[in-house]
Parts: sequence; C-alpha cells; structure tokens
Amino acid sequence: MTTDPAASLVEVAGLAKSFGDHHVLRGVDFTVERGTATVLLGPSGSGKTTVLRSLNVLETPDRGRVRIGDAAVDFAALPRSKAERRRTVKALRARSGMVFQAHNLFPHKTVLGNLVEGPVQVQGRRREEAEADARALLAQVGLAGREHAYPAQLSGGQQQRVGIARALALKPEVLLLDEPTSALDPELVGEVLAVIRDLAAEGWTLVIVTHEVRFARDVADQVLFLDQGVIAERGGPEVLVDPGEERTRRFLARVLEAG
Amino acid sequence: MWGRALVLLLLSIGVFVVATSAPAPAVAASDPARPVVRVGTEGTYPPFTYADPRTGALTGFDIEVVRAVAEKAGWDLRFTKGSFDSLFPALDAKRIDVIANQVTINPDRQAHYIFSRPYTYSHGVIVTASDTDDITTLADLKGRTAAETPTSNWTQVARDAGAKIQYVDQFSQAAALLAQGRVDAVVNDNIAVLDYLATSGSHKVKIAGNAGNEIGRQAFVFRPTDRDLRDQADRALAALAADGTLAKISKKYFGADVSVRNAGAVKVAGSNAGRSTGQVVQDTAWPMLRGALKGTIPLTAVSFVCGLVIALAVALARLSSYRLLKVPARVYISIIRGTPLLVQLFIVFYGLPEIGIELPSFPAACLALSLNVGGYAAEVIRASIFSVPRGQFEAATTIGMDYWQGMRRIVLPQAARIAVPPLSNTLLSLVKDTSLASVVLVVELLREAQVSAAVSSRFMALYCLAAVYYWVICYLVSLGQHALEKRLGRYAT
Repeated sequence: MTTDPAASLVEVAGLAKSFGDHHVLRGVDFTVERGTATVLLGPSGSGKTTVLRSLNVLETPDRGRVRIGDAAVDFAALPRSKAERRRTVKALRARSGMVFQAHNLFPHKTVLGNLVEGPVQVQGRRREEAEADARALLAQVGLAGREHAYPAQLSGGQQQRVGIARALALKPEVLLLDEPTSALDPELVGEVLAVIRDLAAEGWTLVIVTHEVRFARDVADQVLFLDQGVIAERGGPEVLVDPGEERTRRFLARVLEAG
Repeated sequence: MWGRALVLLLLSIGVFVVATSAPAPAVAASDPARPVVRVGTEGTYPPFTYADPRTGALTGFDIEVVRAVAEKAGWDLRFTKGSFDSLFPALDAKRIDVIANQVTINPDRQAHYIFSRPYTYSHGVIVTASDTDDITTLADLKGRTAAETPTSNWTQVARDAGAKIQYVDQFSQAAALLAQGRVDAVVNDNIAVLDYLATSGSHKVKIAGNAGNEIGRQAFVFRPTDRDLRDQADRALAALAADGTLAKISKKYFGADVSVRNAGAVKVAGSNAGRSTGQVVQDTAWPMLRGALKGTIPLTAVSFVCGLVIALAVALARLSSYRLLKVPARVYISIIRGTPLLVQLFIVFYGLPEIGIELPSFPAACLALSLNVGGYAAEVIRASIFSVPRGQFEAATTIGMDYWQGMRRIVLPQAARIAVPPLSNTLLSLVKDTSLASVVLVVELLREAQVSAAVSSRFMALYCLAAVYYWVICYLVSLGQHALEKRLGRYAT
C-alpha cells in the first residue's frame, strides 16, 4: 500500500463492535497526525478503551478499518486464511506500542529483561545493542540504575514508567496509553504524567485514554470525547475548557469534582 | 500456531515411545543352540521359591528343579518374579514361557495350559489357630473364613468346602492373618505349611487336619502352543528322576523324596530358622535399597519426565480452540482420572499384548505411570496457565509476540512457578504409586520387602523399613521442591 506522506499517521474509519444487543462502538472515525497527542475521554462504558485496543487488535471490531502508517486492517474483510490474517494483524501491531493500566510488566524478568524482550525476541536485534538502547530509555524515564531490579521491587509509579519504556523500546510509530495512571496511588501519578508530557514534547505520537482532565488539557493536540460508542465531541484542548456539548460538560463537571 | 502445538504433541509421543522402548532387554540368546526360556516364579513361597536370606539370590526347590531341567534340556534361563496371581496372565501375555511355582494340576488349568509331568506329590492341610479345635476336616470349613491367594488350587478346595475366601497375595500373608485371628483357617500345601511353622517358630497356628485325601501333583506350566518346550521338560524330568537328581534335591529341602508318591514324612528345616529380626532387617536393607535404586527411583524419574511432557501437550491441547485437539484431551484426562492406576497398569501390561503391543515390565510400568501422571499433571498445568493474568499474554502480544512465543517466553515460565507445589504433590504420589508396579513384575522397593517377609514373616520390621525408605525418597523430593520454589520465586518479593 502506498501512503501519501502528507496523510495522517493513524486513520480510523467506521469502527463498530457489539456484544449481542450491546453496541460498544457504533461508527468511530478519527485521524491522528504524526507527532501529536490525542486524548480519548468519556464516561466508563463509552467505548474509549475498546477504541484504543482496536488500534492494536487486542479487541477485534466487527467492522471498520484501522490504518497506522502503511499497515492497515479492514475488519469487515479480514483475510480468510488464518496465516494471512495473523500476518495482517501482526503488521499493524508492529506500528504501535502499548502502555497498560496495570502495567503488565513481565514479573519473571528484570527491568532490563522487560525492555529487551521485544527488540531481541521479536525484532531480532542484537542483545548488546538492544540493552544499550534500553539503558538510554531507562535514563529518560528516570530509572537509570534500576536495570536489574524485578518489577515487584519497584513502586507503582516506577513500574508504570518501565511499562512506558518497554513500549518505546520497540520504536513504535505511535504509543497507545490505556489509563496509565488510574491504578496508581495519587502521589505517584505526577511522575508518570511528567514522563508522558516529555514524550509529547519530544514529538512522539500518542493516543491516550485518561481521566486526568487537567493533564489532558496540557498535553492534548486533539481531544475526542466518546459517549455510548460514538465520538460525541471533538476538537483541540479548548474543548475541555469550554465544551460545546451538554454531555461533555456534565462529564467534565463530574470528573473535575471527583478529582 | 496450533500446527506447532500438534507437532509438539506428536513429537512428545515419539520421544516417549523411544524412551520407553529403549531399555527393552535383549531377548535373543547369545548361543542359538540354547533357547532363552523365561521362568515366572513368586520368589515369596518358601521353601519352593524364595530369596536366600543371606545372599538375596533366588533359590528353593522349584528353582533348583527348573535349573536342573534347563541343564538337561539346554535352556538359557531368565527368571521373572511376580505374585502368584500375576504369573498366569504373564504366561498368556508371553512375558514368561514357563511357571515354576508349585502349580497343582487341575482340570480348570488343563483347559487353558499344558503341564509337564509332575515333579512333586503333596497333599493339602488345613491350618488353624492353635486354640481352634472345631476345624479338623474340610467339612468344618463351611461358613468359616479362609485366607487364600485368588488363583491358587487350594482356594478352590476351600471354596468347594463352603468357606468364605479372604484373598491375599502370598501364603505368608495368609499365615499372618491366621495368626492374628483375622481368619479361621488356611488351606495349603503341607510342605509350605511345615516350612512356615519351622521358619516362624509360631505356636499360634497348627496343622489341624488334612484337606481331603487327594494327592496334589505339581508341575511346570506352559502355553498350549509351546508343546515342544513342554516335551523337552518332560524328557529332562524323566532323566532327572532316573539319575536320582530329583530325589537328591527333594531330600535336601524336605528330608524325603516328594517327587514320587508316598514319600513318607516330610522334615522341613525352615528356610529362615534362627534369624533375629535385626538380622532379617540387616539382610533385607540392601536388597530394598537396590529395589529403590533400580526400580522405584528410575521408574519415578522416567515416568515423571515423560508424564510432564504428555501433560504439557495435553494441557495446551485442552486450551486449544480446535475441537480436534480439545475433545481428545478432555477424554484422555477423564479416563485417566476416572480409572484406578492398578487397572491402567493391568491394561498396559496384560491387555496390550492381546492387540500385539508387547512391552517388557519396566517400560510397561513407565508407560502406565507416565500416562497416569500426564492426566493429572495436565490439569495442574492448565490451571497454572489460567492463573497467569490475561494481561501478561496481552503484553506479549503488544510487543509483537505470536501465540507460541508468548506462551513459551512469558506465560509458561510464570505458570511453571505456580505449578511447582501441586506438581510436587503429583511427584510424591508417583513415588509411592510405583509400589504398584510389582503387579506387572517390576522388582522395586516394596516387592523386595515382600520377598523378605515371605521368608521371615517379620512384617512389622520389614514394612516399617520400607516406609522409611519411601519417606527418605519423598523427603529428598520435598527438599528439591523447596529449592526450586526458592529459585523460581526470586523475582517475587
């Protein structure tokens, strides 16, 4: 597939998914420009996490199309052969890195082991080279010197920063973050958000699901407000200050009050 | 990805078959003129077939006779020890070629087997507790309880007399039950009884009377298709009778020639007279250790390793989305967990030869035990895989791993740690379950204890010693478990 260099890095069109009668996604379209941060907001059950997980096919939508760079998957027309389908999905996955709410670090591997697992085992890079890169990444997220610790020996904030470094170690085109601070104690949230802010400033392309409205306001180039499986409102960070939609307003009021 | 799982499954079965068929002993004789003849015998029925208390070597009247026959007939003998009841199935399954174990000729047996000419004449006696005085004839057995081995000729005699039968493995156990007052009587060969009385020095039991007037004739047993072998034995026995060898062997053991009718009074010295319990334990300690080193431990090790390979393949098949893998895996687990290990052992050892699969004792026991471990451990492994958080697999996926890579590098190492304690339980059970292998003629720890107990009747001391051996092995296993848990758990604080 050839891509227009001027085209968006991520293109999502007509994403739909339902479990029986329950429609989780009902036609979601958006694009993400290279080097920008997109924030997905919305009440729980609005489908924002499902959208994010569709970008790397942890969820398989019923219909719709996802393209990242020159890899695309059309869910309505997945290849018949299992091998072919796996190849297509794998190509799309290779474009993104993922940061989980519960970090999902590999507990049986050291910090360094977590970072080099993908580059060495999947991308086939030389271990020394991957380790040098991993050390640089750890320094970047403020964890130089903790290479040989096991995840269980780190604080929640440190674990999540390792999670971010692990995703970056694969040199993805876009970094997907699924509520990266929701599972953290309040006093640990700041250090993780600071790392993400730095990444945005450095020009990484980010797609973030979060409830941190203030953080979203600072970091977002694009805000997508989801409600009941559709994008109810979209715009720049100003949407979070002065929403056009009543349901966005109500949601923000609730979240800011709670926060 | 399941293609590879299937390949692994097939591969593991392949490895398994190779592993189990490897230790098969060479059956071919070194000298083609001397055919190998495999002799089945109890080794626990003194003075006919038993382990010499001092040397542990197989000896006894029947053993010496069969050796003399082999000498004359030019056979190359291989002895296989097993309980009396396992000898006939073993003969059917072609695991042995002849039984030398005081088998009495009777019509039932003649319907299925062929006999050599008799080499002993004996009569049955009724044994009771010393203070029992209302049992002196077979008629008195009606409604009473007699302890017998299931397939013994004496069992039929007692049953025909109306006795209720309490089944035991060997004569010494029957005698012990009688001495302990748990049964009313035992019907057995007079020589065996005299030997027991001389050996145990027991005053708790006595010979209360004759079991009928019939003279029992004991002979070697062959498969009906082995007429040639039988004829060779007959010619040899005739020659041994003519040259006085049989009489000589008989007088050595019984002080009379029981190889002819009306031998006169039998005098039995007792194959074990005069040994103290300490001496018995001392004499048996090494054979039992040897049984552990050559039977129990290798059986456990081979079966556990093969069982784990099977278990992993079955667990993965069970987790598969393909019905073709999933359903057979479930059926397999259900069969293994739903049937007794003893039945599985019998099917593998005695049943498979009927459909052309003949495995020697050790591989057969390994096969049955491995399949058994496989069934139980598969569920342990499946549960362990399930208990690894789903996010781990997702994380593996997002760093680009395919199913198999994620399973191998991320999920299984974590599942392994979770599985160590329950798999250790499986291993500990296996150590103890190997004691069942004696039913398929594997000589292991407990079998050695039984062999010695048969001669000495020192059940308490010998079985306690066996218990100590098992405990030591299990203790070492649990030490290993502890070390492994520590090693695998180093990342969790």
